[in-house]
Amino acid sequence: MHKLSNKKRIGIFLLLGVAIYFLSGAVDELRVYQGASVAVFVVGISSIILLTGYSGQVSLGQGALLGVGGYAAALLRIHYNAPIWICFSVAIIAAAIAGALLGLAAARLSGPYLAGTTLALAVGLPSIANQFGFLGGEQGLLFDVGFPPLSLGKDFTQYKWFFWIASLATLLAIFWLQNVMRSRYGRSWKAVRGNDVAAELAGINLTRNKTLAFTLSAGLAGLSGALLAMTIGTVSPSAFPLSLSFSLLTGAVLSGVTTLGGVIIGAVTLVAIPEIAGAVASRLGSSEAVTNNLPGLLVSALLILTVLFVPNGPVEQLRIRREHRVKQ
Amino acid sequence: MIQFINTVLIGLTSGAIYSLMAMAIVLVWRSTRVINFAQAGLALASAYIGYQVVQSINNYWVALIVAMFAGAGLSALIEIAFMRILLKHTSSGPIASVAPIIATLGLLGIIKASIAMIWGGQDVVVKPPLSNIGFSIGTHTLVFSPMKLAIVISVAILVIAFSLIFQKTNIGLALRASAYAPEIARLAGVKVDLVRTLGWALSGAAGAVAGLLLTSNGNGSFSPESMEFSLLLISGFIAAVIGGLESLVGAVIGALVLGLVTSFVLMYISGSLFFIAPFVVLLLVLFIRPQGIIGSKAGRRA
Repeated sequence: MHKLSNKKRIGIFLLLGVAIYFLSGAVDELRVYQGASVAVFVVGISSIILLTGYSGQVSLGQGALLGVGGYAAALLRIHYNAPIWICFSVAIIAAAIAGALLGLAAARLSGPYLAGTTLALAVGLPSIANQFGFLGGEQGLLFDVGFPPLSLGKDFTQYKWFFWIASLATLLAIFWLQNVMRSRYGRSWKAVRGNDVAAELAGINLTRNKTLAFTLSAGLAGLSGALLAMTIGTVSPSAFPLSLSFSLLTGAVLSGVTTLGGVIIGAVTLVAIPEIAGAVASRLGSSEAVTNNLPGLLVSALLILTVLFVPNGPVEQLRIRREHRVKQ
Repeated sequence: MIQFINTVLIGLTSGAIYSLMAMAIVLVWRSTRVINFAQAGLALASAYIGYQVVQSINNYWVALIVAMFAGAGLSALIEIAFMRILLKHTSSGPIASVAPIIATLGLLGIIKASIAMIWGGQDVVVKPPLSNIGFSIGTHTLVFSPMKLAIVISVAILVIAFSLIFQKTNIGLALRASAYAPEIARLAGVKVDLVRTLGWALSGAAGAVAGLLLTSNGNGSFSPESMEFSLLLISGFIAAVIGGLESLVGAVIGALVLGLVTSFVLMYISGSLFFIAPFVVLLLVLFIRPQGIIGSKAGRRA
């Protein structure tokens, strides 16, 4: 990752914020809603990049951690009518605690064992909602962040409000994550990824490092879950299905798991593919069964092609190619 | 007392189905060191192939055998046309350890989407060929039905056939040798690549039978979105881990243990904890005996 000074970085993030602000005024409602979804995915995908790319652990159950965040936020909102920023903070903390517990187990597991364990969690955890009444069973709970403040004007829509909240949270999360990556911990994760034995000899505590990566990643996942719950207005077992975990992992692979730089690529792809697939299917005049399942097919095919041909992701691939050219 | 007997019988039946999936996972793991998450998709595909055969000739048992061979063929095809290329391509780099997992997930997605395109997303029904009404002892009616008995017998036949192949034939010897020491096996004249494909084919056969039998353990209806197949995959994986991930005997024992545990949770504690119980079992096993019940030494033999 290219190193920018902190001042420049803050500047870039502020510029991004301003750009998003004007963008939200210029496009129609559907695009604004899709923008909010992109923001949700950006946070979710970066939680996987942190985990898989930087500390070499695979989670197939990230959706379950999103669920923890979503439910925590909704419960707080319903029972204590807490302000939304407190709901989001608690979502992060709740998911991080769950992640720390999972991370303690995960630090002892490697590769396929960890993948299987997290997969079992993703299948199992949503059913807990049916066991305990206060979680609302199959219907779930409402999560209403309320109307946009009146000071924003009368024709300020609900979706635009979602988009603003989600974008702000995403920018803050990514900024924080970049800082973590540049810290002592980020460097030691990279060392562990490169060669765990050498890293351990250099005095890095593997277990603590992996657990920490899991905890922070889960916190991000919790934020993503709360944002997701905001955009759909409810939390329920069906809002956090197994396919959500797979989508996030797919997005991370498409973005390139080793750098944070391409995270927007995966997020936009995940949101755009259903629309592209819909357009293609209607152009071809295909049946309903084909139309409904074309997105799934495309996403999976993209996933496999990426693993085969650009395993490091597009951004990293470009960087490698540029370095080659410079050397020549 | 009657409830206890019922619980044990339900547990053994589902354990029997899990054991096929666990064997499927162990076979692929031993031959290529990959956990094949697409196994859930193969089980689903075989259930649909079985459905198609039942539609046209209306014979369940023929359908089961056709599905078994189709599953073997599909699985071998995946190994030849896909996994070989993938493992060569991604043998190094930061993503090397993750790539096979992600690739089999991608395959799972492709298989599921293709099935939904061909057969549609709504439920289809393969009527179980035998009655699902339980046997009765005196005035008590057991939950154990002729269909469940047939499931257990089918699984037992397949398990015995597999262990005969492994213990008594040259093919079995080659499979064991390639899994234990591929380099030495190659030097001794074993065609390791071919044997690897064979391992995948056997795994596909076991998984396919598991898929169709799974639907008949219930009311016979399923759709591409059925949770049962994901649960089957996970139960198979967990059973394989309980058995040490290397041993076929271990996989079967692990599956029966898991089937019994989940069945007791279902009947004595709560139905909605049914999905989380396997996860808890897995965590316990990984913390207490990470090498599995059978352990790694026995694994080499089976």
